[in-house]
Amino acid sequence: MEISKFTKWFKEYGWRHLVGLIFVTFAIYPILFVLTNSFADFANLTNSKLVPNSLTLKHYKLLSGDPLVPYFQWLYNTYKVAFLAALFNVFLGTLAAFAFSRLQFKGRRTGLLTLVIVQMFPSFLAFVAIYLLFFQISDVAPFMGLGTHFGLILVYLGGSIGFNSWLIKGFMDTISPSLDEAAKVDGASEYQIFRKIIAPLARPILVVIFVITFIGIYSDFILAAIFLKDKNLWTVAVGINTVFVDDFNADWGVIAASSVIAATPIAVLFIFFQKQITGGLTAGSVKG
Amino acid sequence: MKTSTILRYLLLAVFNAGVFYAIPLSITFEAWFLLSLIILNAFLVNTVYLTDRFKPMKWILPGMIFMISFVVFPAIYNTYVSFTNWSTGHILNKTQAIKVLEDRTFTPEDQKDIQFDLYVLQDQNLEFYFFADLDENNMFFGKAVTDEDIKTTSYATHEPSLKKNDELIVPDGFYVLSGKEQIANADVLQELSLVIDSKTRAKIFKISVFGASTGSLSSTSQLYTYDSNKDALINNSTNIICPAVDDNFECDGKEIDPGWRIYVGTENYEKIFSNQRIRAPLNIVTKWTFQFAILTVIFSFFVGLLLSMILNKENLKFQRVYRSLFILPYAIPAFVSVLVWKGLLNPDYGVINNWFAPLYEILEIEPIKWLKTKESARAAVLLVNTWLGFPYMFLITTGALQSIPKELIEAAKVDGATGVQSFWRITFPLLMVSISPLLIGSFAFNFNNFTLIFLLSGGGPPVIGSEVAVGWTDILISFTYKLAISGGRGNMFGLASTVTIIVFGIVLLISALSFRYTKRLERIYGNI
Repeated sequence: MEISKFTKWFKEYGWRHLVGLIFVTFAIYPILFVLTNSFADFANLTNSKLVPNSLTLKHYKLLSGDPLVPYFQWLYNTYKVAFLAALFNVFLGTLAAFAFSRLQFKGRRTGLLTLVIVQMFPSFLAFVAIYLLFFQISDVAPFMGLGTHFGLILVYLGGSIGFNSWLIKGFMDTISPSLDEAAKVDGASEYQIFRKIIAPLARPILVVIFVITFIGIYSDFILAAIFLKDKNLWTVAVGINTVFVDDFNADWGVIAASSVIAATPIAVLFIFFQKQITGGLTAGSVKG
Repeated sequence: MKTSTILRYLLLAVFNAGVFYAIPLSITFEAWFLLSLIILNAFLVNTVYLTDRFKPMKWILPGMIFMISFVVFPAIYNTYVSFTNWSTGHILNKTQAIKVLEDRTFTPEDQKDIQFDLYVLQDQNLEFYFFADLDENNMFFGKAVTDEDIKTTSYATHEPSLKKNDELIVPDGFYVLSGKEQIANADVLQELSLVIDSKTRAKIFKISVFGASTGSLSSTSQLYTYDSNKDALINNSTNIICPAVDDNFECDGKEIDPGWRIYVGTENYEKIFSNQRIRAPLNIVTKWTFQFAILTVIFSFFVGLLLSMILNKENLKFQRVYRSLFILPYAIPAFVSVLVWKGLLNPDYGVINNWFAPLYEILEIEPIKWLKTKESARAAVLLVNTWLGFPYMFLITTGALQSIPKELIEAAKVDGATGVQSFWRITFPLLMVSISPLLIGSFAFNFNNFTLIFLLSGGGPPVIGSEVAVGWTDILISFTYKLAISGGRGNMFGLASTVTIIVFGIVLLISALSFRYTKRLERIYGNI
């Protein structure tokens, strides 16, 4: 009786859990591996045990103490660049979206289509030209040339502003026009309508766009690698992938610790905004 | 006037000040593309914000400027670069190259063999001084400087009073270094020179332990002079005339470095299609780029769909747990997970080979050299990318499966369809309607998945015997990166831009295809 009940359960549900578990292992093993190694006393690549013998924070401490590996400087750089670029991105994108959503003008359709078409080409595709352009900018205005965060932020701004305007515009279209028409009757200016009505109501999408852009820039490697030559100006992506690859086994605990610090906030953000990010909004084009 | 108006004019003034600062500088550096970009932006900003004719543009322009400057403009610039010879040795324009060449120096024959006594002294600040005794009319004393300071230092003076009866009279406050002390400081001393006049310097030639060391003259005579009438360089040492040929000056048929960049027409394109040594690697890379992108989509879609079908079952427990665990690989920045995978795949210490060790023993084969051979590197790249990609596929297929009406399946069952039949005839086609645009998007993303390739395998292992740096797992974008920046064979910007144009073309094709098959365009039109 009991056995046949189990067989029935297994045929219906149990085998599904079995397959599920196999793939759960596949999905999270590397993550657990790096997590435990970051805390393990004897961390090395060969250590496949997921429960370390003793726990330690020494790898995290080592990370902050090595002047040759300014890890926390990299972390600060990354947050700074990603935050500023995402902020301006959303700000400028909102302005443009407002015009496309609320103002009637000639060339509106063409403008929107152009945005969509231009954004089909990832901005890093033309990295050779970007590099050479900023090579010249370095001569004329060194403060925003190659090797500066300023220049890098400018490139990031160009890279996703069209796409973001498009998404924000789509959301603004869902805000009832009766609201701003009423305000217009009351004598509100364009700017007031934007400031007092549309922008506040669009806040949910603005937060989402900010997060998506932030994650995208945080995870970028190619543009940051081309732009930043000075070790102290590197972002985390460039830093850990440049410094740590040389002596992999020796530094494994430190590499693991740095990976955990770099990944955790982004993973938390991502999981928190999971629905919006995967909900067809980005059609798989944002994740890098 | 309203505050906002004042603020607007103030910002405009700052902007225009920047423009007027940058224009002459761009002209000085002959940065013509940058100049045209600046002028275009200045024109747009001023017409939009000084007149009221383009009101909506006041909202759009700030964002648009960045898109024009750093997306549209580089695309145009890239096209231009693909028609030039821009590469190491041809980085400068002609004016700059001539300037570099005119700065070159040589030592005239008549000065080469002159040797003389040279004394090394130190003052109280431990700075080095040389006293060069060429002959009785040329006894020079002065501070010895490095090459960097040569242009700013003053010339050495003739000081006959420092030598009497062949003995050096040490001036007050100075100390003469013995031969041994000179040897101890040889590295520093060899870099120093005594500047005699604008052309001539005295340097240490040989340190001797007894008596004075030997000095020699080195001249800063200008090696090349440019003759603009003949458009040629004249070599002042040999008096050979080196005419400008295309992008280099040539002396007796030998090119002098650096050359300069010129417009070369379709030369890069011809190279790519007809030069076997470049066409072959490009073929390898292009083929693999498609294989990589297609296989990645197939594998991750297959795994994702399989899982969502297995786990999408009524009353199955822990569905939410599964979903939150499966999302983890997708939530972690790729640059981190790739690094971790690189560790796992390490052929000597990595966990994966550790696990496989018993298997290797049973099969009596060598452990797989992950990422070191063509096949293993390609397999590893696909494995890791499947890991990165299947959670996304799982999420979207789960969503799509749940939106398929159950009545359809039930009706098929009633009509006597088997599970397999109803899957292939109903579920799968309906699934593809909503999923296919996302699959094309995923393909396009992976087509240019630089981060994964570059960080995991570096494009390697290298293809032996290729004229350009290229590896077996390189995709077009990482191949371009190697050509332009990190290949270790100089910067081939022209050629790299040409490859980029090919990538542009393919992306355009993919987009057109996705528009056509998914009717996204109609949705966009509908949205406008």
